[in-house]
Amino acid sequence: MDVIYFIFQQTMFFTIPLLIVALGGMFSERSGIVNIALEGVMTMGAFVSILFLNITGDFMSGQLQLILAILIAMLTGVIFSLPHAYAAINMKADQVISGTALNMFAPAFAIFIARIIQGVQQVEFNNTFRITSVPVLGRIPVLGQLLFANTYITTYIGIIVLIVSTIVLYKTRFGLRLRACGEHPQAADAAGINVYRMQYAGVIISGALAGLGGLVYVVPTSTNFNATVSGYGFLALAVLIFGQWKPIKILYASLFFGCLKAVSAAYSGIPFLNALGIPSYFYKMIPYVATLVVLIFTSKNSQAPRASGVPFDQGAR
Amino acid sequence: MKKKLLSALLCVTMVASLLVGCGGKNTSATTDGKAELALVTDLGTIDDKSFNQGAWEGLKKYAEEKGISYKYYQPQEATTDSYIETIGLAVEGGAKLVVCPGYLFEEPVFIAQDTYPDVKFILLDGEPHNADYSTYKTGDNVMPILFQEDQAGFLAGYAAVKEGYTKLGFMGGMAVPAVIRYGYGYVQGADAAAEELGVDVEVMYNYTGAFAATPEAQAMAASWFQNGTEIVFGCGGAVGNSVMAAAEDAGTKVIGVDVDQSSESATVITSAMKELSNSVYDGVKAFYDNTFPGGTTSVFTAANNGVGLPMSASKFAKFTQADYDAIFAKLVDGSISLYNSTDDGSTADLTLNKTTVTYVE
Repeated sequence: MDVIYFIFQQTMFFTIPLLIVALGGMFSERSGIVNIALEGVMTMGAFVSILFLNITGDFMSGQLQLILAILIAMLTGVIFSLPHAYAAINMKADQVISGTALNMFAPAFAIFIARIIQGVQQVEFNNTFRITSVPVLGRIPVLGQLLFANTYITTYIGIIVLIVSTIVLYKTRFGLRLRACGEHPQAADAAGINVYRMQYAGVIISGALAGLGGLVYVVPTSTNFNATVSGYGFLALAVLIFGQWKPIKILYASLFFGCLKAVSAAYSGIPFLNALGIPSYFYKMIPYVATLVVLIFTSKNSQAPRASGVPFDQGAR
Repeated sequence: MKKKLLSALLCVTMVASLLVGCGGKNTSATTDGKAELALVTDLGTIDDKSFNQGAWEGLKKYAEEKGISYKYYQPQEATTDSYIETIGLAVEGGAKLVVCPGYLFEEPVFIAQDTYPDVKFILLDGEPHNADYSTYKTGDNVMPILFQEDQAGFLAGYAAVKEGYTKLGFMGGMAVPAVIRYGYGYVQGADAAAEELGVDVEVMYNYTGAFAATPEAQAMAASWFQNGTEIVFGCGGAVGNSVMAAAEDAGTKVIGVDVDQSSESATVITSAMKELSNSVYDGVKAFYDNTFPGGTTSVFTAANNGVGLPMSASKFAKFTQADYDAIFAKLVDGSISLYNSTDDGSTADLTLNKTTVTYVE
C-alpha cells in the first residue's frame, strides 16, 4: 500500500505542473492564439518567484511565503506573455515565431539577471512548504494518505484551477465568447464581441497559469533554480493536444503522462517493478509512443480550435 | 518622431549593455592593469561554488601571500575559439601562468601551448588533446592536473557505512570518467567498511545521464528513499540538488560532491571533495620555485592531500576524526588500492565481498 501512496504522491509532482500549464495553453488556443512560449513563460515565472523566495528567505517561510510567490509567478507570467500577445494580436505576426523568441529569451535573461544580482546563476531557496499531513483530512484512511499526506498546497491549487477553468470555459458568458473567438473570430466579431480583448484575455490567462506552473514545477523537485524547466512547457503542449483542448481530458492526459513519468523515474525503488527487469527506457518511451498512437487515431476528427494560429483579420469572410 | 526616439533609446541601451558586458569582469589587485597570474573561467563564474571558485581561491591565496598581481578573465561563450581568444587576452595582459579549470579546456590548451610557448598553463581535470582525441600532447609549459576521485568516493562510502548506514545509493550525472571513479570508489569504500563491521550493504547505483536537477532525478531518489535507502551520494552537479530535495522530504541523508556542499542543504552530512584550491596553489608555488612540473600529468591523491572529506563541516555521529585519519593513512601508504578502470561503468567489473550493487539502467 505504501508503494501505491508513494507512486501517487510522486505522480502529483509531475502531473500538477503539466496540468496547470496545459490549461493555460488551452485558454490561449481556445481564444485563437497559439502559445508555444509556455516553456519560456514557465522559466520566467519560476525564476522571478524563486528569486523572491531566495530574497525573502531570511525573514519569511511557510505557506504565506509560497502564496506570495505564487502571485508573483502569475504576475510575471502575465507580463512576460504580453509581448507575445501584442505581436500575435495587434501586429498579426506569426505566432510560432514570437513564441519561439520568448522561449529563447527566457533562460538567457534568467541567467543574466541572476548573475548580476548574486553572481551565481543558480538561485537557491529553502523549501519550507511541504505538508507532511493535512490536519484532520490526513487521518482519513486510504484517502488521507493518498491525497493529504506529503503534499504541497500547489497540488490543491492545481485542482482548483482545473475546476475553475472548466466552469469558466463552459458555464460563463466569457468562456463562450472566448471559444467563439477561437472557432470563428469573424462571426464573433459580427456578434459584437471584441475579439482583440478576448484574445488578450486568453493569452494573459495562459501567461498567468504557465508562470504558476513554472514555480510548481521547481519547488518540490530541487533546492535551487538553474534557469531551466527541462522541456516541461513543450510537454504541456503535448498534453494539451492529447487532451483535445478540453479541461477534463487534459486532466486525464496529464495524469497519464505524470504517472508514467513517475513510474519510469521511480521504478528502481519499487521492488516488484524492479524485479520485472524492464529497462527504464521502456517506461520513458510509453508516453510519447502513446501520444503518437492517439494522434494517429484522433487527428482526423481533431478538436483543435479552428482559428487557432490564424491572425484575426476583421475584413476576412 | 516616436519611432526615431524609440530607436535612439534602443541604441543607447545596446551600447550601455555592451559596456557593462565588457567591464566589470576583471576584479582584483592590479596597479598597472597587468597581471602575472591569470585564470580563465569556463562555464561558471569564479563564485560558482565548484570548479572555478576552487581554482580561483588557490590562485588568490598564493598571489596574496607573495604579493603577486592576479586577475581572472571570463570568456564570452563556451567554445574553443572563445577560450583561446580569452587565453590570448590573458597573455596580452601580462600573464606568465594561466590556470584553466575544467576538461572543456583540453582542446584550447592543446592549441595554446604551442601558440604561447613562453607561458605556463595549469589545466584542471584534463589532459591536452586535439578536437577528435586522436593526438594527446602535453607541452613542457603545461601542467595537467587529474584527481583520484575514486579515493574521495572511497572515503565517503567508507564513512557512510561506518556511520551505521547499510542501504546506500549513488546517483551520478553523466557517466564521464570522473563520475565513474567517484562511484567505483564509493562502492569499494562501502564494501571495505562492511567487511570490517561484518554487515551486509546494499547500494542502488545509477547515472542519470545529465548534470541537471529534474523531477525525474528527484523521483528516482525519492523512490530509493521510500524503499529503505538511507543515504545517497549525489554525484553530478545539480543532480545533487534533486537528491537533496528528495532527502528533505524523506528525512534522509545526502553526500555532496567536489566541494563542501553542507551549506546547500541540512541533509548533506559530508562531501567527497577534490582539493581544487590546494592543487592550484601547489602548481602556482611550483612555478615560482622553478620546479614547474611541465610535460607530465600531476595526479592529486590522498597522499598529497588532493582529495578528502571536510571533517570539520561533516555531521557524523559515530565516524570520528580518528577513524578518518586511520583510513586516510591507509590510502596514503598504499595499503588500500582501488580499482578505478572507467571502461565499463556499470559496476559489473567490481569485486565485492559484502556489498550488493543494484545497477539501475
